[in-house]
Amino acid sequence: MKKILFLLLPGILLLAASCGKDKQSERFELLTAHVWTSDSLLADGADASGTGGILEKFKGDVTFREDGTGTFGQYNGTWAFVDEETNLAIDSPDLPFTLTTHIVELKTTSLKVTLTYPGVTLIAVRMTFKPK
Amino acid sequence: MTILRLVLFGWLLLLYVPGAGAQTVVSGQVTDSQGGEPLAGVYVIWGKASGTTTDTEGFYSFAGNPGKIPVEFRFIGYKSRTEIVNITAGETVVLNVELEPEAQFLDQVVVSADRMEQKRSDLTVSMDVIRSDYLYRTHITDAQELITKTPGIEVLDGQVSIRGGSGFSYGVGSRVLALIDGLPMMSPDAGGIKWNFLPLENLSQVEIIKGASSVLYGSSALNGIINFRTADASNIPVTSFFTEVGIYGNPPNIAWKWWDIPRLSGHASFSHLQKFGNTDLGLGVNLSSDMGYRKYNDESMGRVSVRIKHHSTRNQGLKYGINLSGGKSYKTDFVLWEDALTGGLKQDTSTVSRFHGYYFSADPFVSFGKRDKVRHDFRMRLQTSENRFPVRSANNAGSVSLYGEYQFWYSFSDHFSITTGFSETWSIITSDFFGDHRGLNLAGFAQAELRPVNRLKVTGGVRVEQNILDGEPDRLVPVFRTGLNYQAAEHTFLRASFGQGYRYPSIAEKHASTTLGSVRIFPNLLVQPESGWSSEAGVMQGFMIGRFRGEGDLSVFLSQNRDMIEYVFGPHNDPGSNTSGVGFKASNVEYSRIYGTELEFLLGRQIGKMTATVAGGYTYINPIEISAYTGKSKGLYLKYRRKHTARLSITAASDRLEAGIDMYARSEILDIDNVFLKIETRDLIMPGFYDYWLQHNRPYFLMDGNLSCRLNQSLKLSLAVRNITNTEYMGRPGDIQPHRNFSLRLSGKF
Repeated sequence: MKKILFLLLPGILLLAASCGKDKQSERFELLTAHVWTSDSLLADGADASGTGGILEKFKGDVTFREDGTGTFGQYNGTWAFVDEETNLAIDSPDLPFTLTTHIVELKTTSLKVTLTYPGVTLIAVRMTFKPK
Repeated sequence: MTILRLVLFGWLLLLYVPGAGAQTVVSGQVTDSQGGEPLAGVYVIWGKASGTTTDTEGFYSFAGNPGKIPVEFRFIGYKSRTEIVNITAGETVVLNVELEPEAQFLDQVVVSADRMEQKRSDLTVSMDVIRSDYLYRTHITDAQELITKTPGIEVLDGQVSIRGGSGFSYGVGSRVLALIDGLPMMSPDAGGIKWNFLPLENLSQVEIIKGASSVLYGSSALNGIINFRTADASNIPVTSFFTEVGIYGNPPNIAWKWWDIPRLSGHASFSHLQKFGNTDLGLGVNLSSDMGYRKYNDESMGRVSVRIKHHSTRNQGLKYGINLSGGKSYKTDFVLWEDALTGGLKQDTSTVSRFHGYYFSADPFVSFGKRDKVRHDFRMRLQTSENRFPVRSANNAGSVSLYGEYQFWYSFSDHFSITTGFSETWSIITSDFFGDHRGLNLAGFAQAELRPVNRLKVTGGVRVEQNILDGEPDRLVPVFRTGLNYQAAEHTFLRASFGQGYRYPSIAEKHASTTLGSVRIFPNLLVQPESGWSSEAGVMQGFMIGRFRGEGDLSVFLSQNRDMIEYVFGPHNDPGSNTSGVGFKASNVEYSRIYGTELEFLLGRQIGKMTATVAGGYTYINPIEISAYTGKSKGLYLKYRRKHTARLSITAASDRLEAGIDMYARSEILDIDNVFLKIETRDLIMPGFYDYWLQHNRPYFLMDGNLSCRLNQSLKLSLAVRNITNTEYMGRPGDIQPHRNFSLRLSGKF
């Protein structure tokens, strides 16, 4: 039995090596460093954070947790960088679909994302968040 | 009686064989060494190119020239045996032979696992082998159906998933690599499997590796490989054919029946294998037409293959030849159904398209080897394919690819050997759908096999590969694998393996831009390669208990993938047209972990003149999405996966009759894309689907049956009934699977 375990060792070592946690990127560190809060939520250039606005539920605190889960205003769900960290995908059971937002700016002081939201016509959305 | 029969048979042979006066008759009977039963159909091969088979009573007879000749006896499930017969002129030789049963299939020779011939019991990875007799017994004419009925594998509308390794993306970007005789058989544009053009009419067996195989086979083998191995000519010329007619019954929901005239299908197949001196020839033709059970989903196709292999007499060990294959298919296909209530078998005409597919490949090869010491293999595949849409010409696409591979194997001793080589794939894609592109893939690989002590085999390998698309090199990817096999007892084999895998995004995932009905597909130029690893430990146990022979295989496995490319539904931007909209876009959104276990078994017994077998398998997987950042579970299941799949097959065969029952069970699909479930989108995409899903996403059970009767030595009549229980079940969303259907086949082998 010891012999078999010894023989299995190379595979187990490789397996263990593959399980190592990746070093996180600068954008990951910036995004997860703060609890963010909404600063401006614009749809076609106009505020859409008021009652009945299409971005109403994004109003408030936004948290990107290190495990890939998060809260986005009133939404609970998951987030992930995609497309070489140029885009940020936000998903929630309460959203009609995955929102793949384009990161315009990500600094310690500001997070700005844009996307096109489908309505009767396509709506240009721009959301800005600041550290809480 | 036996002696009289032998003598009479011998005299008859003498009378009918020209010039037989100078020859001598060798005859005898072949029996089972344990039970003494005569064995019918045993191959008896003598000299260099002569052979016959035993009759229903196990008797054989042939006329040979005087001298010492080797006579070989081969039969599936028995150890081959060779006897040297000394023939003198005018003498009758009686050679009765007993064949010894061997543990079922442990000695079966496979080639895919390490790119070289070896016994199944020697493998370090899990491999399923589908033998051609299963294909013929069950009347399966569609390669997708053949593969999806294998334990632990599901094919969803062209997308293969081995042990939950893939979801569903309309066959695009397959994580399982299909091969014909070891050469890739994928579309260079969509990265999918060309299912229609797999040569089922001339198969010896299909070998499936369940787990990352990129070290051996490169990108696309992230989740495993399926190698369709064609049959070689033997000393005995073999011609086989079948012609078949099929009919669909009524669907379980009679309200869905939309046709007035019966929905029929027809298939015909021909294959011939023969040696001419030192040249092997193989021919195959297949024609089929299926009216289909769904409105706007019919198909007709034909394919032809020619295989020529020459064994050099000047240079011992030198073989060369060419395999040619081509075909056409005409199909009406769909993406989405019309409505769940008024007809899941009717399709949304806005997503229906007429499609013409063309395919041709030429595979020249040269192989030189000195037995058990060194071997050089140089092989190529020139492949052209074209998809034409008479109405939706914007989706037309064509491709030409040239794959080349050199492989060198060298054995330093009985304990140590290496395999190394390199490959290239060059491709040109012209398409209104994907755009025009040029691709180049270069790879080098090396692996070593070490047998440090008796009964132990250790393998290790590395591959470095680079993909260049339109002059833009992707990142250089090195991947590794290792494995071991230990023979713990005479019929007990332990194995463990670890292998890395990766896949470059297909051109379709990067560049496809189109609209199908209400569904828009967006390109994503930023999509990155996906990668992962799989590991496994298993035990294979062969056994012979009394007259029972069989094997069992138990494995546990764990795999993990990162940056998995999935089609994400939502609002996206098309950078080419600078327009936005709602639809699907390939994106690296998923990290996954899958663990599970698999049990497969095969049990056979000779009962008088009847052979009975029971075979089956059960696979359990737990497919979860994990955080890209912590590696912990997100509490979500991967989409389009099932936890449990099982299969049980029971067959009984005698001289004249053969019957089989195949049963399949699958648990429900764990999750699907939200676009089909969310109130905001579900009726826009597929009307009525949400309610149908709630009611019908359940475990299901299927049963197929078949019965065949041998009309004479060469001809057989068989009936197959698929989905006997007339179960209503679904593959990917909106894809209602075939209800009960019948096929009657006349086949021959001579």
